[in-house]
Amino acid sequence: APRAVIKVTLLRHEPTGKPITLEGLFVGGSAGYAEGKLMQSHPLSLCNTSEDERQESDFISIVKLESPERKVPQCLPLLKKARLALERGAQAVIFDVTDDKDAALELHESDSLPLPVVLVKAKDAEELMGLVNKNEEARVRIDIKKEDPKWPHYD
Amino acid sequence: LDTSTHTDSRRLRDLEGLTETMGAQVGDCPSRCHCEEDGMLQRVDCSDLGLTDIPANLSVFTSYLDLSMNNLTLLSSGALSNLHFLEELRLAGNDLTHIPKGAFYGLFNLKVLMLQNNQLRRVPGEALQNLRNLQSLRLDANHISSVPRGCFDGLQSLRHLWLDDNSLTEVPADALGALSSLQAMTLALNRITHIPDRAFTNLSSLVVLHLNNNRIRTLGTQCFDGLHSLETLDLNYNNLEEFPIAIRALSTLKELGFHSNNIKSIPEQAFTGHSTLLTMTITGARITSLPTTVCDQLPNLQVLDLSYNMIQALPSFRGCEKIQKIDLHHNEIEELQADTFQGLTSLRSLDLAWNKLSSLNPLSFSSLPALIKLDLTSNRLSYLPVSGLHGLTHLKLAGNEDLQELLPAESLPKLRVMELPYAFQCCAFVSCEKHSSPWDRDNNHNGKDDFGRREGILNSDSFSDLLLDFDDEPKSHHTVQCSPSPGPFRPCHHL
Amino acid sequence: EGPPSCSNGCERCSEYNGCIKCKPKLFILLERNDIRQIGVCLASCPQGYFGMRTPDTNRCIQCKIENCEECFNRNFCTKCKEGLYSHRGRCYPSCPEGLSTTNGTMECVE
Repeated sequence: APRAVIKVTLLRHEPTGKPITLEGLFVGGSAGYAEGKLMQSHPLSLCNTSEDERQESDFISIVKLESPERKVPQCLPLLKKARLALERGAQAVIFDVTDDKDAALELHESDSLPLPVVLVKAKDAEELMGLVNKNEEARVRIDIKKEDPKWPHYD
Repeated sequence: LDTSTHTDSRRLRDLEGLTETMGAQVGDCPSRCHCEEDGMLQRVDCSDLGLTDIPANLSVFTSYLDLSMNNLTLLSSGALSNLHFLEELRLAGNDLTHIPKGAFYGLFNLKVLMLQNNQLRRVPGEALQNLRNLQSLRLDANHISSVPRGCFDGLQSLRHLWLDDNSLTEVPADALGALSSLQAMTLALNRITHIPDRAFTNLSSLVVLHLNNNRIRTLGTQCFDGLHSLETLDLNYNNLEEFPIAIRALSTLKELGFHSNNIKSIPEQAFTGHSTLLTMTITGARITSLPTTVCDQLPNLQVLDLSYNMIQALPSFRGCEKIQKIDLHHNEIEELQADTFQGLTSLRSLDLAWNKLSSLNPLSFSSLPALIKLDLTSNRLSYLPVSGLHGLTHLKLAGNEDLQELLPAESLPKLRVMELPYAFQCCAFVSCEKHSSPWDRDNNHNGKDDFGRREGILNSDSFSDLLLDFDDEPKSHHTVQCSPSPGPFRPCHHL
Repeated sequence: EGPPSCSNGCERCSEYNGCIKCKPKLFILLERNDIRQIGVCLASCPQGYFGMRTPDTNRCIQCKIENCEECFNRNFCTKCKEGLYSHRGRCYPSCPEGLSTTNGTMECVE
């Protein structure tokens, strides 16, 4: 699956203007460009009875998935959660799968996601969730990472 | 205080008189509690402090007292007797197993009493006797298995009653008989297996009744008699095997839900007398067919959800002129006739996903002027009749492998969100030139034009939301979204 | 602001999500605070929400009625905003036709 490059620009604190560059993995044919304000979604929030009505129109949801052992009631499959977030106005969805390795498999089965859905983990995820924990307002831009061809001189 | 009412101005005069005679300290706030002035009165929050007793020095002008989430095991009689101005008392999340007679003596103005999440085994009728102004009583999440006759006598102002998440095995019909002013009640999450005739006969003001998540297998044919004002009836998650014909008594019903039961069929005249019904949800049953005259009986129906059943053939919905949303996904429907959805001038969302549709009549969707959302995901279509779909904004056809033709974009001018079987079909709706990455245009933030029509999305409305959400769809900017997107890995060149 | 701490009612706390599972019988409220959304456990839901109990979880759900402060379910208001009249779970600036208030309450009756 194509890699995603995630550029994060802080809106209130230094270093504003100079983006932090992180990486992720697009899921299920959802590779593409998206831009919006970073907004956390609680893993329980993306359920059909979920109550986080439409926020502003232009945001990117980030969901920290808990490890399966913690048994967070999974009201909907991850794919449906992603769709629900996109239907609720998210321009893209980022899943932090650091603690839930199976999530990547579960999300990979689809190839008809209308907008970018990206998996992040480890250092990249920690950076993003660190911003969330500090309630840092940030603008996120996602796009397809251009891979350097393996055999540049191959004719 | 709600100063706009006459009773409250009279109470204000009483207050001033009382202050002078008693010289009471308005400002007393029990230690560790949090107090707020509310005019002459005081709101006191002593929640979550590990208290084992009611604080002693409560101001007589306390109007709101929160003692939730403490370790109270007993309420002594008269413990709150001087709080004549108390309107809301919260005792949720304690360990009360019993409430003695007189515990709420003196609370003449009490309107809201919260006892949820305690250890009560029966409704403490003696303690509730003289609460004439009580409007809301919460007894949910206890272990109540007994509701003695007469325990609600005297609660003439009671409007809202929570008895959900308890151990009731039957409807407490005798006790409920005293509550003619009751407007909303939940008996959900109990162990009720049968509803006898006239179980709610005196509840003429009841508007909302939740009976979901019980074990109800049978209903008396007159079990809902007397519910002249009922608008919402929730029978979801029970064991009903027969269609509840007792609903015939409910002439003001607007919302009816009995999904996740074992109902196999709907009798022909099931909805006679239900012209007011607006929303009906019968999902997750094993219904195989619908009455042929369903719309004659339900002329005002707005939302019909019959998903997750075993319906094979559909009647004509002609006559349901006000219907706005039909959910039939996850059934076994094989074909649509020309008149199935004929004349549904208000229909906005039609969900036929996950059925066995293989052939559609060319006129199936021809007379649906208000239709904006059509979901035909995962059927067996090889052809889509576009006649009448010019207003469509959302179209889902993924999972129809045999549908390999190009869709005529000119017949679908307003489409904004599409899920199609193949990427090449998206080429007709999005820009076909090679997608360059916007990073190459970092200094040019308008990213929109160079990227062709596919840049961002409008807020697409949720297919699963009820119709109420259609209207708040902001039209901030017109963008088209089509998947699977013919991105850099599936170029449209060969078209 | 650091990792969200969890209140007493929480059974399973997460460094980033706040509470992810409340103790039995308590309601989980997904509280939005700027960009964060964390789980909080409550004995009863705050104004503008009602408590929905299900076999697996108890959640605070937003009321969907105009001018309503507290509700019984999505569509039935138990307390209208100040100065508004209530009838059958709805809130009105004045009583609907044919109805009027009695003994100084804000409720419209036949």
